[in-house]
Parts: sequence; structure tokens; C-alpha cells
Amino acid sequence: MSQDTSPDELELLVGRMRSAAAPLRGTLGRLHEQFCNLRDGTVANYIPELAKADPEWFGISLVTADGQAFDVGDSDVKFSIQSVSKPFVFGLALEDHGLEQVLARVGVEPTGDAFNAIVLDELSNRPFNPMVNAGAIATADLVNGADYPERVGRMLEMFARYAGHEVFVDNKVFLSERATGHRNRAIGHLMRNFGMVSEHFEESLELYFQQCSILVTCRDLAMIGATLANGGVNPVTSVRAIEARYVKYLLSAMLTCGMYDHAGEWAFRIGLPAKSGVGGGIVAVVPGRMGIGVFSPRLDAKGNSVRGVQVCAELSRLFGLHIFEAVGDHQSLEAQMQPQRLH
Amino acid sequence: MAIHSFRGGTGKSNTTANLAVLIARAGFRVGVVDTDIHSPGIHVIFNRRPDSIRHTLNDYLHGRCPIGEAAYDVTESAIGRVAADDERPRIFLIPSSIQAGEIARVLREGYDVARLNDGFQELIRGLALDYLLIDTHPGVNEETLLSIAIANVFLLIMRPDKQDLQGTAVTLELARRLEVERILVVLNKIPAAMDRALLREQVEAAYRVPVIGMLPLSNEMAEVASGGIFVNSYPEHRFARELVRIADQVRK
Repeated sequence: MSQDTSPDELELLVGRMRSAAAPLRGTLGRLHEQFCNLRDGTVANYIPELAKADPEWFGISLVTADGQAFDVGDSDVKFSIQSVSKPFVFGLALEDHGLEQVLARVGVEPTGDAFNAIVLDELSNRPFNPMVNAGAIATADLVNGADYPERVGRMLEMFARYAGHEVFVDNKVFLSERATGHRNRAIGHLMRNFGMVSEHFEESLELYFQQCSILVTCRDLAMIGATLANGGVNPVTSVRAIEARYVKYLLSAMLTCGMYDHAGEWAFRIGLPAKSGVGGGIVAVVPGRMGIGVFSPRLDAKGNSVRGVQVCAELSRLFGLHIFEAVGDHQSLEAQMQPQRLH
Repeated sequence: MAIHSFRGGTGKSNTTANLAVLIARAGFRVGVVDTDIHSPGIHVIFNRRPDSIRHTLNDYLHGRCPIGEAAYDVTESAIGRVAADDERPRIFLIPSSIQAGEIARVLREGYDVARLNDGFQELIRGLALDYLLIDTHPGVNEETLLSIAIANVFLLIMRPDKQDLQGTAVTLELARRLEVERILVVLNKIPAAMDRALLREQVEAAYRVPVIGMLPLSNEMAEVASGGIFVNSYPEHRFARELVRIADQVRK
């Protein structure tokens, strides 16, 4: 299943040492210190499990397309993935049905509405894009499987391929989501009315609640991002997580629709495909180069992690990461990854 | 400069201590860090009694103190009296803990190897060091690899012993992957009867690295038994003079 030669054990060990000795660690540390003092925003509280998050938690991780990893702060604190899961289930749907069949059920237009708006495109009756709840429920509905356990299993295996290890659902979060998921159920029924979801859509809603409740760390998000940056292949395990030809669709959807109603300004100023979640996580992808993961539970009015947005903006600015950047004289991120010899 | 052997008993710590003294005497500020957390020992050669050590590298790694507090000025005992406001020569020792509990703690909890790197940078800055000698634990381990990753010079000590020779090949592969600028070899404990020229040729051919010193198996060295700095007690000895030659080459 692996496309490239798996980095051998020695290379992984050497890579860890290089990361430990790289100046980038210092840069990320200073970024962390700088934004530790940013305490704007509020922790999501629509379910008790999210409200319990420590507002001070703050982690930043970076994983390169060749598997080098850098972590600062609370990079191993687990939290629920929430909407960050959406692009990847979209990817699974693409693999299961192909592009045209998926686009018949969900559009790819950014919407200025809130992510949980109960609204479909008037002309086509499709949900606007896979990143809003309606679209995510429609893509969950497209995940193949003989029965519910198999569909959940395939979904979890898919995330495991991206993250490089098994992932688990937080049962308390899942139960809370399904107990409060009235808007999502309403949207499911509306879509059923227009034939955008199948007769097993109620099962798909359950699948959707499961996917939102998957536990990840900010290091996991960086690894997932790095897998997309590496053309769909996990840089450490060399396992292919998604067919190469679908990577561009995930990244495009993330760029235009990933940051809720901040997506337009995000694509404009920061210029990186990204996805945020109300659990406080953000994943950003620098295509071909690296994945960035940030975790901080305090959210702004649009539902994006306040510190997460600032960290991504600052990294993009410092190192010229905007995918349409034309100026060549920024600091090189890759140069900072080389071990700094003592002098 | 990271000083390393693949196996124990090659004379690494003694060589490190003596080189540190010789380099410092040439008019420099030298730091010596014992990163051999699992079997610390270089403090013995510097005659630093455990009860006179308040903070160690272990304390720094576990976040209990800044690394400067684990650095001890051993100039007077290692080189001799130096005027109090003379900045050079100076030798500083940063020891690891010899207490069983501390060693057990490191084994159980581990530590962030990146913090070791931060410590090295801080030592060089804070103590204005001209040279930092890093004494490492034998074999492949994180402390050694990190030291290799950031060192300008990697000095390998080995005996003309088949186990050492085979093991050194492993270490060299790692050093090459970590792209060290200068890799140097010192052969130690060479029996009198061995053909030294042939030995040097064989080692240089096998590893494609320069042999910068060949230290004899020495009874006097064995008798000192890590009780002190050999070059201070026996300055004219063959062994000491070879160490002087090694120190000169390392400093280039």
C-alpha cells in the first residue's frame, strides 16, 4: 500500500534529533509565549464536555512532508476533532463514489451563513459545501458499508491512516452530541425531503456524531495535515490515506470553505487550506511542505480558535507560506529545521 | 565537541578531562558536561566530591534549576591558581547525579532531549565558553545523538579491540547521517607490541576518518585509576605528550 520507501528506523531517530536541535523549536516556542497572553474568545459550551476544556490549553505542532515533527506546549492534550473531521469524510465519500456522484449531493460553494444553518441551495437543493453541517451529514451519508458498524469502522480506519495510529471516539462527547443534535437532525430530515440523503440517513447522523467525537491531539492534526501536504501519503508510516487525485479537492474545499464565515478573509490574508473545529483545533496545510496543527479551546464569534488563527497568520507572514506568495525574500522555514551547530 | 565511544572502558572520560585541562591551559574558557546520566563519572577525575555538588544536570533536565546553577568552576583544582578577575583560563564542570534515586528517576520518567540542547546553548552563552566538551554515554542513545547533531567536532575514542572496531562503524553511520562537520578518531590503550603504523592505516582505511592520536596502554594511567588529571601528575609522560598533540589538533 505504500508508495514511497518507508523512512527506516535510523532515519526516524536521526529526524527526532534534528528536530530537537533545530532553531524552529525556538521560533515556535516564542510564538507560543507571545500568544499565551492572548485570552480573547470563549470556550464552546453547547455540550458540557466541551465546556470542561481548560481555556489555557495551547499547543502548536508542525510536521513536514518528510516526517520531521516539532511540538510546543500542550501538543499531546486530547480533544474532540469536531468539524476538522469534515474534509476527510468528504475524501472518503469521493473514494467511495467518485467526484460527480458526490457533487450531485453536495456543492462546493462557500456560504456566508453559519455552519449550522438549516439552509440548502435553492436551485439544486444541495447543501452548500462539505464543511457546513448539512454538507458534512450528506457526505457521511455517502460513506459505504454493509451496516452501521462497518461504516463507523471504515471511517475510523480512514482517520487512522491519516494520523498514523488508531484513533478513538470519546463516548461522552458522542452521547452529548446526539442528545443535543436537534438542528442536525432537522437538516437531515430536510435533505431527505429533497433526496440529498438516502433512507439510512438517520444512521448517517449517528456516524456524523461519531466522527465529531473522535479524540485527537494537535500533533495528530499536524500529522493529518502533513499527509495531505505529502500528496495523501502519511510521511512517517508511508501508508496512503487517500487517492492522490482527490487531494486537490480536499485542499480546495478547505481553502474556500474551511474556516466558517472567516474563510474568504482567511484565503485572502493567510492563503492556506485549513479547517477549524469548535473543539479548539485548527489544521493548516502548506502543500508539498508541511502540516500545521494548533490547539486552543477559546473560540471567536465565528467558531474559530482565537490563538489558532493568530498562530497560523503569524507563521504564514513570517515564512511567506501563502500559496500565492510572489515575494521570495521571507525567512526560510526549512532552513530553521536544520540543526544549529553550537558556536 | 562531543566525545564518544561505542563501548565502555575505552578511556573516554579520562581523555575528555585531560583534553579539557590542556585546552584551558592554552588560554581558553572550557566547559565539560557529563551527559552520561546512566553512569556518570567524570566528576571523579576532577576530584569533585558528590557532597560538594548541590545541583546537577539532572536538576536542570527536570526543570528544577537553570543550567548555570549546575556549573562548577573547577579551575583551581584542575589547572591551578588563577587570579580571581582573570577570565581565562577557566574550566567549568557540569556533572550528572551519582545518586541512585536520580538515575532511577531519569530511567522511569525520561526527559525532553531538546532541553539538553537548550542547556548547551545556555552554557555557552552564560559562561562565555570558548569550548564545550560533551562527555557522552557509550553506545547509541538520545543524549549522544543529540550531542552529535549539534557538535562541530565529533571525537571517537576506541581501543584496538575487535568489539570497539565493529561498534565504531555503527556510530560513524549515525554521525554521517547527522552530518557532523569533523569526525576524528583517537586510539587508546594500544599495547606496546602492536604495530602502530599498521593500526593507524587499517583504521583510517576502514572508516575514512583521520586518526589524530594514538595513546599507549599505560601502567601509570591505570595506577592513577581516575583519581586525578593525568597530565598534571605526569606532564612529561609519553601519554601526556600524545594528549598535548591531540589537543592541538582538536583546537585547529
